[in-house]
Amino acid sequence: MRANPEARPIAGGSDLLGWIKEDVQGTGEPRWNLLVDIRTIPGSDEIRFDEADGLTLGPLATLDAIEHSPEVQDRYPVLSRAAGAAASPNIRHVGTIGGNINQRPRCWYLRNTEFDCYKKGGNFCFAVTGKNEYHAILNGELCYIVHPSDAAPALMALHADATIRTADGEQTMPFDEYFIGPRQDVLRENVLQQGDLLTRIHMPTPSPNAGMSFIKAQRRGETYDFAVVNVATVIVHEGDQIEDASIVLSGVAPTPFRAVAAEDALRGQTVSDGLLQQAAGAALLRARPMTENAYKVGISKNLIVRSVREAMA
Amino acid sequence: MTTTEKPETAAAAGAPEYKVIGTRPVRPDGVDKVTGRAIYGADVRLPGMLYGRVKRSPHAHAIIKRLDVSKALALPGVQAVLTHEDFPEPAEPIMQTIRGPQPTAWDTERQMARRKVLFKGHPVAAVCASDVHTAEDALDLIEVEYEVLPAVVSLDTALLPGAPILHDDGKADAVEGLFELVDGKPSNIARRLDLTVGDIEVGFAEADVILEREYETSMAHQGYIEPHNGTAIWNNDGKLTIWTSTQGAFGIRQNVARTLNIPLGDLRVVPAEIGGGFGAKNVVYLEPLAALLSKKTGRPVQITMNRTEVLEATGPTSGTRSWVRMGAKRDGTIVAADIRLEYEAGAYPGSPMPGGARCALGPYAVPHQRIVGFDVVVNKPKVAAYRAPGAPASEFAVESLLDELAERLEMDPMDLRLKNCATAGTPRSDGATHGSIGAREVMEAVASHPHYRSEMGGRDVGRGVAMGFWQNGGGESSAYANVHQDGRVTLVTGSVDIGGQRAALAMQFAETMGIPYEDVNSLVGDTDTIGFTGNTGGSRTTFATGWAVYQAALDVRAQMEQRVAQMWEVDPSEVTYDPKDATLRGPEGKEITFKAAARRLPGTGGMIQGQADIVATNVGKVGACYGAHIADVEVDRETGKVTILRYTAVQDVGRAIHPAYVEGQIQGGAVQGIGMALNEEYVYNDDGTMVNSSFLDYRMPVANDVPMIETVMVEVPNPGHPFGVRGVGEVPIVPPLGAIANAIFDAVGVRVTRLPASPRVILEELEAAGGT
Ligand SMILES: Cc1cc2nc3c(=O)[nH]c(=O)nc-3n(C[C@H](O)[C@H](O)[C@H](O)COP(=O)(O)OP(=O)(O)OC[C@H]3O[C@@H](n4cnc5c(N)ncnc54)[C@H](O)[C@@H]3O)c2cc1C
Ligand code: SF4
Repeated sequence: MRANPEARPIAGGSDLLGWIKEDVQGTGEPRWNLLVDIRTIPGSDEIRFDEADGLTLGPLATLDAIEHSPEVQDRYPVLSRAAGAAASPNIRHVGTIGGNINQRPRCWYLRNTEFDCYKKGGNFCFAVTGKNEYHAILNGELCYIVHPSDAAPALMALHADATIRTADGEQTMPFDEYFIGPRQDVLRENVLQQGDLLTRIHMPTPSPNAGMSFIKAQRRGETYDFAVVNVATVIVHEGDQIEDASIVLSGVAPTPFRAVAAEDALRGQTVSDGLLQQAAGAALLRARPMTENAYKVGISKNLIVRSVREAMA
Repeated sequence: MTTTEKPETAAAAGAPEYKVIGTRPVRPDGVDKVTGRAIYGADVRLPGMLYGRVKRSPHAHAIIKRLDVSKALALPGVQAVLTHEDFPEPAEPIMQTIRGPQPTAWDTERQMARRKVLFKGHPVAAVCASDVHTAEDALDLIEVEYEVLPAVVSLDTALLPGAPILHDDGKADAVEGLFELVDGKPSNIARRLDLTVGDIEVGFAEADVILEREYETSMAHQGYIEPHNGTAIWNNDGKLTIWTSTQGAFGIRQNVARTLNIPLGDLRVVPAEIGGGFGAKNVVYLEPLAALLSKKTGRPVQITMNRTEVLEATGPTSGTRSWVRMGAKRDGTIVAADIRLEYEAGAYPGSPMPGGARCALGPYAVPHQRIVGFDVVVNKPKVAAYRAPGAPASEFAVESLLDELAERLEMDPMDLRLKNCATAGTPRSDGATHGSIGAREVMEAVASHPHYRSEMGGRDVGRGVAMGFWQNGGGESSAYANVHQDGRVTLVTGSVDIGGQRAALAMQFAETMGIPYEDVNSLVGDTDTIGFTGNTGGSRTTFATGWAVYQAALDVRAQMEQRVAQMWEVDPSEVTYDPKDATLRGPEGKEITFKAAARRLPGTGGMIQGQADIVATNVGKVGACYGAHIADVEVDRETGKVTILRYTAVQDVGRAIHPAYVEGQIQGGAVQGIGMALNEEYVYNDDGTMVNSSFLDYRMPVANDVPMIETVMVEVPNPGHPFGVRGVGEVPIVPPLGAIANAIFDAVGVRVTRLPASPRVILEELEAAGGT
């Protein structure tokens, strides 16, 4: 794969095949002509929990398997719910966690052959002057995609690590460092280079005092629909007293967005309406909505408040 | 699955006893469809068949400077390439359409652009090859040079003085009333319609309360599952046969013959099983292309669209803007209504604005009305009919304003509607008067329905109601019935079956004959095997073709009487066919069953065939249809999401021939209306590119996005039909828009005047109202 710039790993194919059929390509996005099926790698779909070590996921574990794993449901409910919120039952049966994390963005200009935008190697972002109701309100620069994954914010909220195999061998990093924004490289959404693989996902055992929540705002009722905004929240607390907070949103920025300002505002505090409003406000302080997506700022704040309450309930 | 109530109705008392009508037998196409054996248009396979693809314009408005297909033709596997040059000049310069006369050339140009492209997706060439991938590759080799013009993608830009003009070819000058100059200048206003009843000056002078508001709805697609397709074989003998997914084989024949300039008799159109149409499959897109490619290659050619092509380049319904001003007396009597409608037609004239204009006030008696409608061309695909074409938008406006009036007058919304209810004899906006209608019965059924009377609990929940009116259609239909020796009958009609018509027609035939439904084999003919029959549209089929099969059954009965008279050697007037027990009776207690008589036909002059060819509007009265929906919603103020909690659709169905299919029509229509209210929209870039041209981004609601739609069928029989049938398919798409908008107001106090009510719209309205 490394030698062939037009080769691409394929897992469940539920994103990649659509991408190929939609013929998304440009100077910065090759037309994939060799697909390497990675589902054959033995053990790569494992879901293994160990009280001392935490949870290990092979990248080929399907969203459905993760959603319904008793250990995940019991100890990592935010991940179970996030996996179950993605796409439809059919897609979750073939779609893998690795594919979900590495799926390509859904910007409608990107997925339309008529628009040669930055992300394909062109020199324009059509969303800036165009229809941006579903685009980024935070951290957009050059490109204003929102990260499409429902699972990714849950992994980040759980402080998961990614192990990747690169030309230089294996490397492990927190997911906070795995996703990269357009400023770093507009052609990619994560650190993987051509030929690299995500090989393992690992996260620690949560504190017994951790409460969790995953909420997804979407337009349709039950049918598959990417998030307008979603939020994954893990709160370690003693009653009303917040010890630690981990809050990550998708649908708002080119990468899953850790609401650091909200986490800081909550840590060590006693929960109250005022505190939650203040924390949510702080998280969105740097929001720079585009022409049509200011409504997402309010949704994001409301979901942060709602999810912290739900996590502490 | 369905929960239905059948309330007592005024007319139900003296209702005749039916044996077949009102039952729920299995449809003849059911097994094939659930086992995947039904042959849809794209399933047609002919020896040596080639596959076609269409090269489409990437621009919404441009002049074609150069078109070079030579490289595509040179690609191995490519058999032929088609451009506008292959289309003949029209024989008649002007053609009649249901929306008035138009230059015939425009219809050809709609199918294959000539000088200009007028919407993104406009065909500029077509290719056929031995396989679809080669054809697809060949498209990339077709070179087209465009001079891109500014695109007109909204009513605002279309109506701006100095806007780019779409139809600047002068052809409209030959057609009276089309693109008349506005202030002495060319414009994008294709037509203007004025309807007046009474004198609004007088009416508004009597009003105590006057409200006015402007409303917008988005373009929306019918969303049928099956994409358009066309398969053609043009034989050496000059005969052309077309298989296609259509709502009406005869309409397609007419259109294709006109486009290709060939005699009607040389063209046979075979309707395949159809996977949904909702109005849009009355239009020709691919058939002439496949035919001309077949002519060039001498081989059968099939072309099928993909979903993007369906969304970008077939006919959705119009984006609209409606302005309504209404005046009422303090007691709730509506005295005047002033309405202005602007509907986008797409690239060629012919929006459903007239339908919107005629239906806007349909449920009500309003003594003074002025309705002005504008048909506006824009650089988008030419719109097509979509279930009650034009009515959802204008009635949404009126139903919303009525709700506001009720609030202002502190009246119950149903009481206000009942007070102003249209009845037989009420003048209609189009100058006619209402015949026997069930508007009042529907309103009363709502007002007394447990759903309407139930208490609503919880925060940010609300209830809305709205009426819907549709005129329905009649027209021409044919049927024949072959009586077999075993007493079974093959019934052939020309009505394509989209919603269970084969069953509903067989039932009316069986009822008239007094024979079991199972004894009737119901088929759809093609243009060479059945007499002329109008399209399955306008809610006309169960009504008009139902009439034809009724007549065909009467013909069979009469012929049977003749034959039996012959057998008994009595005068035919002495034999009567009694449908109660399907028995023929004569003098001196002589009797013979239909089955027994059929067995003896070969010896008494041969088998018989009953037939009928009727124009329903001449034999009976098309029964207009009313519906009213009750919607309970919950609005999430934090995410802007609207969830429907409970939904009830009440409708006057005249007579439900097959109640399950009537319920299906009501539920399906309601869900499509819910889609227009909450989800569906065409999102256009300023350059005229639709950016959400996939079902993922188009976000149509499906079964698990909506609650069970409860249906209530009120039966006010249509006196203009032997069984009281009224068309039922269209009206249920009308009320959801108003009902949901009114429910949203009830829940959170904001009036949503632009649909769909997306989270963004809801949150923006809430913020504007200071309500978040
Ligand atoms: C209609 C529809 C609706 C959807 N809705 C949602 C939604 O609401 N929420 C949501 O989160 N997702 C949604 N999805 C996306 C869906 O979850 C993903 O398609 C799925 O998870 C991808 O998994 P896969 O195994 O099929 O990936 P593939 O399609 O096989 O791969 C996706 C991408 O990841 C790369 N990749 C896969 N595995 C690895 C690996 N181990 N290392 C490196 N690269 C890898 C592939 O090369 C490819 O580029 C939707 C998809 C569809 C088609
Ligand atoms: S947001 Fe990104 S992907 Fe979308 S048009 Fe802009 S650059 Fe391209």
